[in-house]
Amino acid sequence: MPATGRSLLRSGDQMDAGVFPDHSEAVAKQGSKMPTIDDFIRPREWVSDFVSEMGKVLRRWGEERYVPMRRQVDEDWREHKIVEPLLKEVLVDLGINAAFFPAEAGGTEMPEPMTVCAVMAEELARIDSGFATACLCSVWGLMPILLTPHRNMDLCMEFGPRFCGDELYVGCHAMTESDSGADVENFGRMKGRTIRTTARLDGNEWVINGHKVWPSNSGKAADLFVVVCTTRKGSTDPNDFALVLAPADSTGVSVGNPYQKAGMAADLNSDIWFDEVRVPKRYRFHGPGDDLKYWKRAITMGNIGSAAMCVGIMKSVYEIVKKFTSQRVVAGKTLKEHSMVADMLSEVAVCIESTSAWMWQYARELDHPEIYGWDPWDERFVLKSRGLALYASTVVERVCSRAMDFMGSYGYSREFDVEKHWRDQKVIGIWMGGKGLKTLENARYWYDLETL
Amino acid sequence: MAALYPSQEWCDEWKKAINSSRAIKEAGKNWGVGFNGNLVFEIQPGGGLETTTHVFVAASGGECTECRIIGDPSKVAFGFHVKGSYPDFKEVVKGNKDFIAGVVTGVFKLEGPMLKIMSHAKFVRAVANSISSFEAEYLGE
Repeated sequence: MPATGRSLLRSGDQMDAGVFPDHSEAVAKQGSKMPTIDDFIRPREWVSDFVSEMGKVLRRWGEERYVPMRRQVDEDWREHKIVEPLLKEVLVDLGINAAFFPAEAGGTEMPEPMTVCAVMAEELARIDSGFATACLCSVWGLMPILLTPHRNMDLCMEFGPRFCGDELYVGCHAMTESDSGADVENFGRMKGRTIRTTARLDGNEWVINGHKVWPSNSGKAADLFVVVCTTRKGSTDPNDFALVLAPADSTGVSVGNPYQKAGMAADLNSDIWFDEVRVPKRYRFHGPGDDLKYWKRAITMGNIGSAAMCVGIMKSVYEIVKKFTSQRVVAGKTLKEHSMVADMLSEVAVCIESTSAWMWQYARELDHPEIYGWDPWDERFVLKSRGLALYASTVVERVCSRAMDFMGSYGYSREFDVEKHWRDQKVIGIWMGGKGLKTLENARYWYDLETL
Repeated sequence: MAALYPSQEWCDEWKKAINSSRAIKEAGKNWGVGFNGNLVFEIQPGGGLETTTHVFVAASGGECTECRIIGDPSKVAFGFHVKGSYPDFKEVVKGNKDFIAGVVTGVFKLEGPMLKIMSHAKFVRAVANSISSFEAEYLGE
């Protein structure tokens, strides 16, 4: 029977440290034939060796630099003393912040941005999905100005040197509001009428007023906010939807203390208040109509990126349960040789394979409109990628939970890290509109719903 | 008169372009420091090029100390090996295609320590931009 009693676990014990009989030789022998996380679906004809190698650099970095202090990160949710230097290593030293800025602005200007983002999201989330979120959300909100053919070169040239420089500079996509929550993301039905944060044009300046809550990197980590707002409160006119940049040090910007959450401590979430914040007129991304149009590409990228994070988490759980069930012996045989455990192991693998296949297909579709015929900002992408995010966030929860069921108290213990993934993953289903919006928009796409 | 790509004359022009770029000098000040930053570009036949040709670029500290056509790459010390076909390289030299995009999408194969590439992405980008910064002539045209 799997362990269920806390008494079996000595504090500080590791799986290999003598709690279980040593079967490492047998595991090593099997290991030579046993698939690894790199054997799960990642189409080689779509994801180049270079991009996969880039992912492996992040993996090695994570294992060497992040994992040794990963358990301390949960206690660092308020100060970010551990996380901030690590953010700099990834965003600045490994060039993630600069990846999509144009070359003229000091960036690397990588093509196939969704594919590249998916590899980054997967590898970083395997280490810590909260950290992955903090890293990727630094530039997520900027996608409407970074990517072609809708690049805003003036803004890229102005902010590129900061994002691509030698110092840490962090972005924040300030979207959700306390009054309307998921309604901001539910543009298809709400059409922006519940957005309370406003931008008023006064001469050559936008004046921003409002309150945002929960955005990644908001808890004093961000240097620049992408403010999702409206130029006319209560309007359902797409021309009134606006994306405006607001540097965090602007007069009138104030940020609350980070929230203490169940997980994802590496990502700071807080309140942001904008009180008569004045920014130059040029800080609006594109203008009436186009702000909304190209924002949809960022939302689709968020959905696919969320799925990639789920894949990363599930791959980590796969590694943990594979090792655990190969080492622990119950009733004369390793745990994995028991049929009920094998059922769980099979399900973990199925969830990874299915999510990976779906995720890579959508990433490919988004990066290659010349093949699939849809512009990357097509609203249909937003809707159908909600289905992917819904599925991924459902199966990752199940994978973490089932792994814990079979690991018993070991899975529930901090020492084995499944517990961390279980706490962290929950918010992936909650963010960007929650499972409700994901469900409705997916149904809206496939069944052409008229009232929901 | 424009230099023929690939030729020693073209290599000399590229070396000049690299060394006159402020972006390369700044972004590459740590390139090749503590690791071998030399590159070999393997241009495979096609589009007018009949035999595989290797261009060796010695780069360190933001400077190019050597750029030449070599016969056997095993005779030189290098840290990075880039492989691609002549028609693909030609498009990069002409400025029609982006080198980084070619590497990321797998048109060009880049072998070498990826960590160095990622942590010196600005330098790699600047060197890539310098390839198309001067006039050239091409085989098969």
